[in-house]
Amino acid sequence: MLQKIKKEAILMGNEAIALGIIENGCNMASSYPGTPASEILSSIAHYRDAYGLKMHVEWSVNEKAAFEVALANSYSGCRSAVSMKQVGLNVALDSLMSSAYTGVVGGFLLVSADDPGPHSSQTEQDSRFIAMLAKIPVLDPCSPREAHDFIATAYELSEKYEIPVLLRPTTRVCHARQNVASGKLLKNKRKAMFSKDPARWAATPKFRLTLHKDLNKKLSLIASEKKLQPFFYKSGTSNQNNCIIASGVAYSYVLDFLTEHHLLDKVALCKVPMPYPLPDSFLKSITTKFHKILVIEETYPVIELQIHDRRNVTGRLSGHVPNAGEITPDIIYPVVNKFLNIHGKPLKQAKAGGQRPSLCAGCPHRATYFSIKKALPKAIYAGDIGCYTLGINLGAVDTCLCMGASINQAAGFFHSFKSTGSEAKPIVASIGDSTFIHSGITALINAVYNGARFILVILDNSTTAMTGNQPTAATGVRADGTSSSGLQLDKLLEGCGVTYIKTIDSYDVQGITSTLKDADTYTRSQNGGIAVIISKHPCLIGSKHKKTITVTVGENCTGCRYCITNFECPALVHENKKVFINPVLCSGCGVCVHVCPVHAIKVQ
Amino acid sequence: MDKVTNILMAGVGGQGVILASEIVSEAMMQAGYDVKKSEVHGMAQRGGSVTTHVRFGKKVYSPLIKDGEVDILFSFELLETMRYLGTLSPDAIVLVNNQKILPPSVTLGKDEYPDTIPGLLSARYPRFELVDALGVAQQAGNAKAVNVAFVGVLSRFFDVAEDIWHKAIAAMLPPKLVDLNLKAFALGREQH
Repeated sequence: MLQKIKKEAILMGNEAIALGIIENGCNMASSYPGTPASEILSSIAHYRDAYGLKMHVEWSVNEKAAFEVALANSYSGCRSAVSMKQVGLNVALDSLMSSAYTGVVGGFLLVSADDPGPHSSQTEQDSRFIAMLAKIPVLDPCSPREAHDFIATAYELSEKYEIPVLLRPTTRVCHARQNVASGKLLKNKRKAMFSKDPARWAATPKFRLTLHKDLNKKLSLIASEKKLQPFFYKSGTSNQNNCIIASGVAYSYVLDFLTEHHLLDKVALCKVPMPYPLPDSFLKSITTKFHKILVIEETYPVIELQIHDRRNVTGRLSGHVPNAGEITPDIIYPVVNKFLNIHGKPLKQAKAGGQRPSLCAGCPHRATYFSIKKALPKAIYAGDIGCYTLGINLGAVDTCLCMGASINQAAGFFHSFKSTGSEAKPIVASIGDSTFIHSGITALINAVYNGARFILVILDNSTTAMTGNQPTAATGVRADGTSSSGLQLDKLLEGCGVTYIKTIDSYDVQGITSTLKDADTYTRSQNGGIAVIISKHPCLIGSKHKKTITVTVGENCTGCRYCITNFECPALVHENKKVFINPVLCSGCGVCVHVCPVHAIKVQ
Repeated sequence: MDKVTNILMAGVGGQGVILASEIVSEAMMQAGYDVKKSEVHGMAQRGGSVTTHVRFGKKVYSPLIKDGEVDILFSFELLETMRYLGTLSPDAIVLVNNQKILPPSVTLGKDEYPDTIPGLLSARYPRFELVDALGVAQQAGNAKAVNVAFVGVLSRFFDVAEDIWHKAIAAMLPPKLVDLNLKAFALGREQH
């Protein structure tokens, strides 16, 4: 269903960002999926086709690749957009730092979506600090609508100063929905043109110093850009003694609260559209204008830290606003009440434990983890980032650091135990296909090169499942649906120097269990090394899966709950001292048949 | 209507909570309101508790509802309802789908699933309604339309024309599923 945006539509923040990118003549967009940024690129691909535009849109294999591909387009005078989640920007940081110095010709928009909470990330890091570290401007939208409207500003700024510009939405902007009015479609008429300039594009350290000085000049000019100055919400009065400074979605919460409680004439509300760079004049004078200042921002104290004299300033740094976690209305309102000396009713807290995230019924990863646990119960399980991190529920994930770390950490555990003469333990690293391609390949080369020994299980479900089933380099499909040659995993593994490579269907519990034991022997044998098992079965969400078998529980079920504890499939239900299978949830994978210790679960 | 209406939708992953909230948002926009909505994706989507906040009115700033200001709790699952009672305004409408999805603590035998929920709710909330949306969806021809059937029940509380709802459903669903869902919606709208 290709749809153009007529005049106004309810858009997810990520769709609004995509629409802004489409409307502003961008001809190249790249990304690696990651919550909460994933829908930006897929929406760009959608609008590209709906509007009949010529654009290069790609899912890159990682954020560094995405960044550098798009950067070359901007070196060539054209407009680019690269999007990722905040921890993805860590992967592209090397490129970002250097590109701030070289600058760009065509507009370069970097979208890094932060995840305060965190809801779906390993850190709560604040990309605005990365903008400051790299010395590039950052825009902090407070709503999907503003994120959309900021895109035009970002491209203008990027081209005026020849600098990458960061747009920093948070989860509550990316995954909020709002009615958004479409803008004018500015069709790209530019031709790519690369003007050779070695002192800039291939700068050696000597020229880098010049570029750094140029960058500093750009920043001081950007700080005084009229359109992006901090401004006060017009309340009609000007005799306020106190001021709240806010940016991002926190501004929306504060405005909502002050409007609803008729407090806009009691306190000045200052909005910061561009938290970095801020003009010195503002940072110096704001504290002389007001008796007290409260700064509310997510997630780190970026604005607060820049204010010169912080004696009368409160915020995350001072501890008046909690210094970790998402800022929600429930957090903000008591803080604002206290700041304004208003006695509000204390809030009731009704939080209860209960539902936890879990692998889907029929998920091939569950079958693999069950086999790993069964074959090598005493192993160290080095895990990675993806749906399969939920293997933690089955006790088969002991570590989860960041993308690709499973393989390096498995190697690290091996060398740690070996070099200290400690009793060797089996080590099993598990990583998804998309994550392996993202940052597991160099790790594997390193492990082989340095003589580590462990079992690597590649959980190949032929998709990037956790973020919404984007294709990978191995699936043979691109972001726009066209086909590509497709990476051959086994050949890649051979090229890395792995000689033990076995591919088995994830549902084949007996096959995987016996192969794991064999692989364990191989890692210990005289001429052994790293054993790789590709556990392959398509993700049920992405594929056209049909239920072919029906599984039932026989009368001999003892109600011992072994299946629920060790297999934790959501379709297994314990009621009245027996286990039942929820027919709506059950996918018919049949794996639980191998789980029951008394063989009560059977295929009908 | 200047006051913003706050709907908290709650359920368990897979019940169609997000789609339901998209239909309601679309309908309210077509009815002329400013709309904001919040949801979570990714890890939080895999079978855990799912909530979305839907807010509409003349002008809406915050995408999240503050505790104590939920006007309608639209809950797809009995036990999930209990998690959000602290968010309700004093005269909130509590609309609950009579369905049980057992959390891990119950399937693992550490807790019992309480059977007293409807009783507790009706004693405490005068505007509590228990609905068999799953039954309504089955009557319409497919259990998976439970979310749209439940939206049908919710639609009775708003002065929004039926054809606007129909357009919103048609806009949010693949063409081949529209008729089934319109039927589920209509049956839901007739429930009392």
